[in-house]
Amino acid sequence: MIFFMLAEIIITIAIIVLALIAASEFFVFLENKKVKNDLAKREEDAKHKMYEISILNELSEKIGYSLSVKNVIEVIIGSLPDFIDYSVVSYMLLLPEKIIFRSYLKKSVSQKFIDQVKEKMTDSLSAILNADFRNIKTEEMLWGINLNEELNGSVGSFFNIPLVIGDKVAGLLTVADTKDGFYKEKEMTTLYKVAQRASGAVTRLQEVVESENSRLNAMVASMTDGVIMTDTDYRIVVVNPAAKKAAGLENKNGLSVLDFAKQLEGKLDLKDKIEESARMEQIFISEEISLPSGFYKIAISPVKDKWRPLGCVVVFRDMTREKEVERIKEDFTSMIVHELRSPLDSIKKMIEMMRESEIKKAKRKECFQMIYGSSSDMLELVNNLLDIAKIEAGKFELKKQQSDIEEIINGRILFFDVAAKDAKVKITSQLAKNIPDKVEFDPHTVSQVLNNLISNAIKFNRENGNVVVQALLHKEGGSLQQEAKNSGINWFVKKDFADIPDSLFVAVTNTGIGIAKDQIGKLFNKFVQVKTVFAKKGGTGLGLAITKSIIESHGGAVGAESIEGQGATFYFTLPIQSGAKI
Amino acid sequence: MEDNKKQYLQLMSEIIAKQAVILGPDAAILKAKKAGVITDHKGNVTDVEGDAFQTFKQLVDGYKELLGQTAENVINPILEKYPQIKGLIKL
Repeated sequence: MIFFMLAEIIITIAIIVLALIAASEFFVFLENKKVKNDLAKREEDAKHKMYEISILNELSEKIGYSLSVKNVIEVIIGSLPDFIDYSVVSYMLLLPEKIIFRSYLKKSVSQKFIDQVKEKMTDSLSAILNADFRNIKTEEMLWGINLNEELNGSVGSFFNIPLVIGDKVAGLLTVADTKDGFYKEKEMTTLYKVAQRASGAVTRLQEVVESENSRLNAMVASMTDGVIMTDTDYRIVVVNPAAKKAAGLENKNGLSVLDFAKQLEGKLDLKDKIEESARMEQIFISEEISLPSGFYKIAISPVKDKWRPLGCVVVFRDMTREKEVERIKEDFTSMIVHELRSPLDSIKKMIEMMRESEIKKAKRKECFQMIYGSSSDMLELVNNLLDIAKIEAGKFELKKQQSDIEEIINGRILFFDVAAKDAKVKITSQLAKNIPDKVEFDPHTVSQVLNNLISNAIKFNRENGNVVVQALLHKEGGSLQQEAKNSGINWFVKKDFADIPDSLFVAVTNTGIGIAKDQIGKLFNKFVQVKTVFAKKGGTGLGLAITKSIIESHGGAVGAESIEGQGATFYFTLPIQSGAKI
Repeated sequence: MEDNKKQYLQLMSEIIAKQAVILGPDAAILKAKKAGVITDHKGNVTDVEGDAFQTFKQLVDGYKELLGQTAENVINPILEKYPQIKGLIKL
């Protein structure tokens, strides 16, 4: 009995032990399964992470500094087989004039499948951009394995990844398979992330390039020369406002080479020359061409980087100013020649008369006087030309010394007394009492200035007119009008000069025909003659140009005022302290 | 209150439908489910797991995570039709 009881206890214990062993085995099995699942999950996560890292590395290596969205997409497509299963991967790129549609077939599908993918992509782009893309020209290409029209599989699963560069949708990438519900959230999210990172990299690169481009464009836009740049297909990629202005196309947008060629018709075959320059890799420079906006020289040059041609650049060099200067110089030369020929002609005629006829002693004296006058005029002109040449060469030297302006003015008035009487002009002076006895300037050249101004004032005066030479002292901050009034001088210059430093002001006023307002600015230009002044009485106008240079060399300024029909005043300043400017 | 929830469900249905065209139905519905949206087999929103506004916010954030600014550009015109909700959310 006891034996049976013991046996029962032992059996029960054995069963309990076995049950415990079985339970622990089951627990271990469950634990192992959980660990296995965790490991598989971690492995899956690591796989996604590895894919993400490797594809991003590959993208940065393969894309480098490329701004091509196509490159980015193709690198992503190339990496897909390591990561995700699919039948077809496609991309669409939006270009200004067309859509590019490419499909890579990993598994064989029918044309119907491709058409479905294409339709879904077009719908996606239309929804994003709120635009209809159905009628836009599409360039289609398939690669990978061949289509199989015997297959009936439709698109079961797909997902689209828009590619956004900057803030613009550049295209779309679509992964598609024949099976339904094929793609899991994780792999889709990883691909979106990769596409976003790649788009971000291209965007940043594009921003850098755009920033550089905008600087370059601003520079090209601000150039005074007209610039057109074409690509290798002779399409305009850059055109600045100066080029549009040169060709008279300011108000036209979307310009082509043909628009410019039309404007140059009969003067230059632009299209032909661009093609020739690109083909021969040579720079072409045209003769001066007259266009509605002026004279231009057109230079055409091929543009290439290290490896390949990029297009051509056309530069419109505005020659209008040069042409104008050339014309002015020609006019000036003609005028000088004329001014030299007239006295020479007189001298020749006088000598002929003296040689061929018996003339009385009195008449002979008159002839000598005329020869002397003519040769003096010529000498004065030659001296003026030499002075101008010295000024232009920077060899005009001042010999400044303590000088008495009053003495110089009185000396010049005395010198011109005879000439004034001959011209029936009265010459007087008005000199302020507070003028310093001595001021530092070059007495010789200042005398030359006064000679020019007084001789002009006599020459361009009316009969019984007046010439008044005035001088007064200006103190910095003071009113010139008030200073003249205080000195008892009837000051003719209306402009006030309160802000200039202490200076001597000297003015020569005549009562002649005066000068038109728009001509006053031209008075001191050596190559431009003021017609109203010089036309009737002759003269080169060189004296005023020399006057300006002499006074500016002293640190002073020259100017003129006039009332047409009443006369004109020419004035200059001599700073009492050097370096004074108006 | 119930009307308010109805508006949210309707708005989310419209957004998911649009995203289904843009991203494809798989991606659009997976994102919606992750945000706590309950849909029928056609993708219509039948209910939400928690608060309707919070679910809507998470749905929008989920699409923004995938599409960035493009998601905002697409959702904004739909949101215009729901001025009461539009005033509560800043995209």
